[in-house]
Amino acid sequence: MTKRVSRRDFLKLTAGATVVTGLAPSVRRMVLEPYVQPPEEVLPGEATWYASTCRLCPAGCGIIVRVINGRAKKIEGNPHHPLNQGKLCARGQAGLQILYNPDRLKNAVLQSGGRGSLKFEPLYWSEALDILVDKLETLSNPNRVAFLGGLMPSHLYKLTTRFLSSFGSSSPIIYDLHSALEGRNSTVQLSESLFGSPELPIYDLANAEVIFSFGANFLETWMSPVSQSHAFGTMRQGQLGGRGFLVHFEPRLSATAASADEWIPIKPGAEGYVALAIGRIILEERLGQASSHRPYSILYQNVDVQEMADASQIPVEVLHRFARIFADADQAIAIPGGGLAGQHNGGTSMLAVQALNLLSAQIGRVGGVFLSQPGPTAGFRQNPNPGSFENLSILIERMKSGEIDLLLIYGTNPVFELPTSAGFAEAIASVPYVISFSQFVDETAARADLILPDHTYLESWGYEVPAPGAAKPAVSSQQPVVRPLYDTRSTGDVLLAVAERLGGQVANALPWSDEVDFLQELATELHGSSLGAYDAKTPSSFWALWRQYGGWWTEKEIPREPDISTIVQEPIPVSEPVFDGEENSYPYHLHPYPSITLSDGRGANLPWLQGAPDPMTTVCWGTWVELNPETASSLGVSEDDVVRVISPHGELEAPVVIYPGIRPDVVAIPVGQGHEQFGRFAEQRGSNPIALVASITDPETGSLAWGATRVRIEPTGRKKSLARLESLAGEGRESIG
Amino acid sequence: MKRFWLIGLFILVVVGVIAGVILTRVQVYAAPEQPIAYSHQVHVEAGIQCLFCHPSPLKSPLAGIPSVQKCMGCHNVIDTDNPEIQQVASYYESGEPIPWIRVNLQPDFVYFNHQPHLGAGLNCETCHGDVGQMDVTRQTVKMDMGWCLDCHINQSDEKVGRLADCLACHK
Repeated sequence: MTKRVSRRDFLKLTAGATVVTGLAPSVRRMVLEPYVQPPEEVLPGEATWYASTCRLCPAGCGIIVRVINGRAKKIEGNPHHPLNQGKLCARGQAGLQILYNPDRLKNAVLQSGGRGSLKFEPLYWSEALDILVDKLETLSNPNRVAFLGGLMPSHLYKLTTRFLSSFGSSSPIIYDLHSALEGRNSTVQLSESLFGSPELPIYDLANAEVIFSFGANFLETWMSPVSQSHAFGTMRQGQLGGRGFLVHFEPRLSATAASADEWIPIKPGAEGYVALAIGRIILEERLGQASSHRPYSILYQNVDVQEMADASQIPVEVLHRFARIFADADQAIAIPGGGLAGQHNGGTSMLAVQALNLLSAQIGRVGGVFLSQPGPTAGFRQNPNPGSFENLSILIERMKSGEIDLLLIYGTNPVFELPTSAGFAEAIASVPYVISFSQFVDETAARADLILPDHTYLESWGYEVPAPGAAKPAVSSQQPVVRPLYDTRSTGDVLLAVAERLGGQVANALPWSDEVDFLQELATELHGSSLGAYDAKTPSSFWALWRQYGGWWTEKEIPREPDISTIVQEPIPVSEPVFDGEENSYPYHLHPYPSITLSDGRGANLPWLQGAPDPMTTVCWGTWVELNPETASSLGVSEDDVVRVISPHGELEAPVVIYPGIRPDVVAIPVGQGHEQFGRFAEQRGSNPIALVASITDPETGSLAWGATRVRIEPTGRKKSLARLESLAGEGRESIG
Repeated sequence: MKRFWLIGLFILVVVGVIAGVILTRVQVYAAPEQPIAYSHQVHVEAGIQCLFCHPSPLKSPLAGIPSVQKCMGCHNVIDTDNPEIQQVASYYESGEPIPWIRVNLQPDFVYFNHQPHLGAGLNCETCHGDVGQMDVTRQTVKMDMGWCLDCHINQSDEKVGRLADCLACHK
């Protein structure tokens, strides 16, 4: 306050205000609005719970939503659901704030002031559909339209693929940062090459005695964290008569690492070396059940333990100890996680880790590796597997060279999620017409000409095949728990309406009147299956139960053993990691990691998630740079000092958190902040470390090597205090800031 | 001089606050103006039971106010020339709820539930007064915590511990 208020003025003001307040008798008048036509079976004041599916990450957990008088009030885990068994994570809980977000688009809009102007003109849906139909009809060639998807509901993926193929275009390209940070694409490729099946394997953590996790943050963001945390609890509570043992290899102490018995701060890119050395030692010393090793001895032909120990900076004795722990356990699993996939040698490292499971004969055994059994749900499984970064690069090149006339984007935000060096922002500028289906104006939607907002997931229909699934074949159903709040429209219905207008082949391929018609037809395929946890007499009562239960699953577990008969017996290559940036000028490894709350940034517009402190550093509402105390003192910076992190491709500034749980040669920055657009809670807050990343790929898998960039750090001399619950020394408890 | 002003100001403040409190109290007991001149008296004299229109206090926390559809169930044929009834019909036709003004209100930190009160044998009029005699509905008792406790404390020994507990109402 610039003008000082004197004591006398203050007293006068207070007295005046009191008089005015006292003289104005204010009685709260509350309006009671009755239903015009009451829904059946609704009791005022009593909650109705609707079962549906969480869509905040790709795991596909079952949820139940408490609805009172037509308003969604609380989200919980669905206790019947085989995946999350009644549990739900913080992100799932925050889903209500997507529904009630003040920055939602309330109707279809045309960006009338040109791209990036953020001047939007509301459109009637009929006009919006006219534009879409016109753009499709006037294409010179159906291959000039591209559909870029991220987290798409399975039914929408199915409809979109059908739509595009009948139109003569190629299938949607699926890419999002969350999946890239989890290494979904690399995992699927590895699974295909080893087991002949392109899907995500299920690790039976609950029944494992020893888990070696190589960069798999399975208690935070990796794959299906809620179901894995549940399994981890079972494993720790000694289902098999003893407490399970967890070793975690990662350059930074994540929350998963903090839950481990041993955390090995491994050199980035050296995870594969450790796995190879452990395998070689098991073979050489005939540890464990030696009979199971023999068929795999050729895999380790090229491996020299001493070389691996030198390259990974882990002493041979430690490697020997790990080899014995792994081989002596009855059920031991090695998990190749997302951290590996983000390296230049990711594919081979992941193969080296998975080979440990082959060696200890853990494939298809209790406490080992399984694939999900489709059972009668095979018809549902046209799941969008995330494509590789290389795939996307081809699209970016086509966009740049003017081969794409119409770009449709659903459920992904590539302008924010891709490294700046990938050039998506420039590529999108050379596409003549861009249509987004986003519910919010994010960085990509801001570059679109037309936005046709979809409903939020609490207002929409759909289903999801959880991937990686549970031990029971399962499909999660999704249904609206409230009426759509605004004049948004389901993208499935938009496609069906467009197909009808286009007529001909496209209309024949999509004969359904709306997406519910399509879903009902698909869901009732399961009617009459003897394996189900429930069944009904008629298809329509089955459809009711499908919605009541929140999906369909079998009564019993039906595990599926991966087929390992076709594995090619050849030595596992030892490949060195390659990093972008000269070691002399860029001495540190950049380790961007997915935030447990904001994930890849899609949670940044939800204040509950912004306000939930990071489990390791207790920071909220911002970006920070984690430095080892040794690194910090060599740079002469202390807590809250703003530093500039510079890579060959960009730079950012953020305050320092001195964090002993990180290698001195590694700098960790959480992903998720740094939005330019995406609503009031996300905008102009923190920075995005992905912008610094070099767009180099793993030659094996084509995945983005997001962990293979080197950086240097310069102090700026400024200070900015972070919102933190407490420092690592325990100081400042109970006070924020 | 200064003291005079201060005393004057002080008196003004005290008078203002007292006047405000009195006016507020008066307004609390005054019947609020409703969007439709509905009379409970007419309906009760016609022999309609409370639970016909307010159907849920026996099974839910709220008594419920009748849906517009329920009003029209009778008023499709009864007294259709009355302009007030025509107004109800117009609400129904346009699909709009009638914005009734709440008469009895508990603050947000009180979790009041009708069901156990009716279960304990209380009648509607114990708390709501003789609504059947009211042309315009108004609050008859000051529903504050002292009033609640007057009953909750005078209970049998096995009940009083539970009923006088803070968490009985403030959850």
